[in-house]
Amino acid sequence: MGDNFQNNKTMASVMMDYDFKVKTQNERSKVEDLFDFEGCKVGRGTYGHVYKARRKDGSDTKDYALKQIEGTGLSMSACREIALLRELKHPNVINLIRVFLSHTDRKVWLLFDYAEHDLWHIIKFHRAAKANKKSVMVPKGMVKSLLYQILDGIHYLHSNWVLHRDLKPANILVMGEGPERGRVKIADMGFARLFNAPLKPLADLDPVVVTFWYRAPELLLGARHYTKAIDIWAIGCIFAELLTSEPIFHCRQEDIKTSNPYHHDQLDRIFNVMGFPLEKDWEDIRKMPEHATLVKDFKRSNYQNCSLSKYMDRHKIKPDSKAFSLLQRLLLMDPNRRITSEQAMQDPYFTEDPLPTQDVFAGCPIPYPKREFLTDDDQEDKSDSKARQNQQQQQPNTQQNQVQANSHDHGANNAKRMRMPGPNQGNNTSGGGQQEFHQQQQMMFGGQQQGGNSQQQGNFQQRF
Amino acid sequence: MAGNFWQSSHHQQWILDKQDLIRDRQHDLNILTEEEYQKIFNFFASIIQILGEQLKLRQQVIATATVYFKRFYARNSLKCIDPLLLAPTCVFLASKVEEFGVISNSRLITTCQTVIKNKFSYAYGQQEFPYRTNHILECEFYLLENLDCCLIVYQPYRPLLLFVQDIGQDEQLLTYAWRIVNDSLRTDVSLLYPPYQIAIGALHIACVMLGKENLKPWFAELNVDMDKIQEIVRSIINLYEMWKSYDEKKEIQVLLGKMPKPKPAPQR
Ligand SMILES: Nc1ncnc2c1ncn2[C@@H]1O[C@H](COP(=O)(O)OP(=O)(O)O)[C@@H](O)[C@H]1O
Ligand SMILES: [Mg+2]
Repeated sequence: MGDNFQNNKTMASVMMDYDFKVKTQNERSKVEDLFDFEGCKVGRGTYGHVYKARRKDGSDTKDYALKQIEGTGLSMSACREIALLRELKHPNVINLIRVFLSHTDRKVWLLFDYAEHDLWHIIKFHRAAKANKKSVMVPKGMVKSLLYQILDGIHYLHSNWVLHRDLKPANILVMGEGPERGRVKIADMGFARLFNAPLKPLADLDPVVVTFWYRAPELLLGARHYTKAIDIWAIGCIFAELLTSEPIFHCRQEDIKTSNPYHHDQLDRIFNVMGFPLEKDWEDIRKMPEHATLVKDFKRSNYQNCSLSKYMDRHKIKPDSKAFSLLQRLLLMDPNRRITSEQAMQDPYFTEDPLPTQDVFAGCPIPYPKREFLTDDDQEDKSDSKARQNQQQQQPNTQQNQVQANSHDHGANNAKRMRMPGPNQGNNTSGGGQQEFHQQQQMMFGGQQQGGNSQQQGNFQQRF
Repeated sequence: MAGNFWQSSHHQQWILDKQDLIRDRQHDLNILTEEEYQKIFNFFASIIQILGEQLKLRQQVIATATVYFKRFYARNSLKCIDPLLLAPTCVFLASKVEEFGVISNSRLITTCQTVIKNKFSYAYGQQEFPYRTNHILECEFYLLENLDCCLIVYQPYRPLLLFVQDIGQDEQLLTYAWRIVNDSLRTDVSLLYPPYQIAIGALHIACVMLGKENLKPWFAELNVDMDKIQEIVRSIINLYEMWKSYDEKKEIQVLLGKMPKPKPAPQR
């Protein structure tokens, strides 16, 4: 990248001062100088690779997550994630500690606190156990605690005029052992956006993104604007999935690249679970852009015997339970009637015993395996990536068995872990602390546990 | 993040102290007078404004770009990066943050070329816009670093709308105050005061211009530091005073010539 660009008709322009350049170069710390993470890839999404990292200078021995943004330079999604996370501070929203810009290869790195678990892996673990008729010991109130903290985080985002837009199990992290044990962290703000001033219909900007399973029906019918209600629908889907270990609106997806929001099979799946919406339950459905297609493609009579209560009943969630009644309010088809995060947090479900705890594991041993390191040709991945997703769905059993195997494989796991070099005392460079964002915050949230750990030791349940 | 200015990086890191600002500018102010320095910023604010308009960006995005530009030079001398490069870089970055959809690299460069040629020939004569995409992208990393990744900027437009609503919709008042807020981007107020105070300052000037005596009680009831508002008003009025006796078309070439410039690597 030549900085002494000279034009013939010239303004003899030197774009950047040499001394300035050298000075900033010397002050800039490189991610690879401060952190060890080689061979420690733990996550791969559409927009980045995530590594587990340790500080080289040994000033602390905590684990960190380093996300390398896919591609080079500042993509729009990198910009959004940085811009928003730089401002957001909430115990249930992932904390962006620092940004590294690597000028030589033009890579962008984001440094986060490390979260050992996420709901995608947790649910997968339960599915595998179920398939093998094994039980998993978790506290009775775990699902409730998870849901409460997800709602708390989303309520914070929504009250700050931020929509997440990509809520799904893979983007809901849970902290492992440590001061924030068992705390939910909402992550992956790559699609998130401010909605206080919609500049353009949001749907115009990036055609169709992400998996369809968590997409609200109004989006599938061509709604032009993202809303809080769309995030709430996704939370409802996640809640159902936590209760049953199955994606409630599971649907094969081949043609995911389509820029048309209308998706017949996904709608069919939703109606198969929920029943076909009655006019009186969703009056504005007639105003949806794809309403005509809907009328053409679907027959109410095909869904006569479908309802959420029957579906959940089949999965052993009783229609008269508080869990079911809250689920129903989150999964209302009409976005205008769907409850807000605030209302959801007031639901009687959360005041019924067992009460939600700050540590979702309520002090009990964590049954889930730690993250595995991925190799570059590893196919194990989140549902972000389409090709892999299909593969997953076609061979669920092999996949599940694999997890099961992994979870018994703590030794191997630890062995891999050993590859991470230990703290390297002597070499204590100053680079680290200065440029990090919100530092105090963590201390603040670290200690305060209200009514958490004490309850329900040994109060186990087999299923979530 | 509309509801949350007090916790924002804007409030916590980017409301600067006037004394600090003057001190950090010493290098440039050894070469330029304060007035010359302001005239140069006035000029580049115009470039950002016209670039933004040509790219069909909203005023909010243009304002954010202008604040990025000012923040960069609040901490750095004009010589560090050629402002003719930094200006479009700020527009580029702001448009990504404010979610307008990415402007394509080629469209950005082409727009820079036509704008410089057609609208600013009084400053650059026959010279062409000398930068290409790779320069902008490189510059963008430096900009982001110097902004300390603080990309969300609060602007006075939203509080202004709310105040005017509170006063009782007055289109003329809003139009005047809105323009004054635009003009305020050419002063230092966006570096020194929170946006709601700038909105009040702009309203104050608009009321004086329109002779709206009847709003005095409304101002009196506001629970704000009136000294601050007066400082804002003074900065903006000073700008208007300066404009009266200033012909940019005649003077800018000399000023640009005098401006501190980046130095290349020493020749070996
Ligand atoms: N802070 C973190 N700690 C541990 N693992 C993480 C962290 N952030 C992300 N991951 C893992 O990496 C995956 C991809 O990260 P994510 O931020 O969702 O990126 P993408 O935008 O590419 O989906 C996540 O699903 C998760 O498994
Ligand atoms: Mg993700």
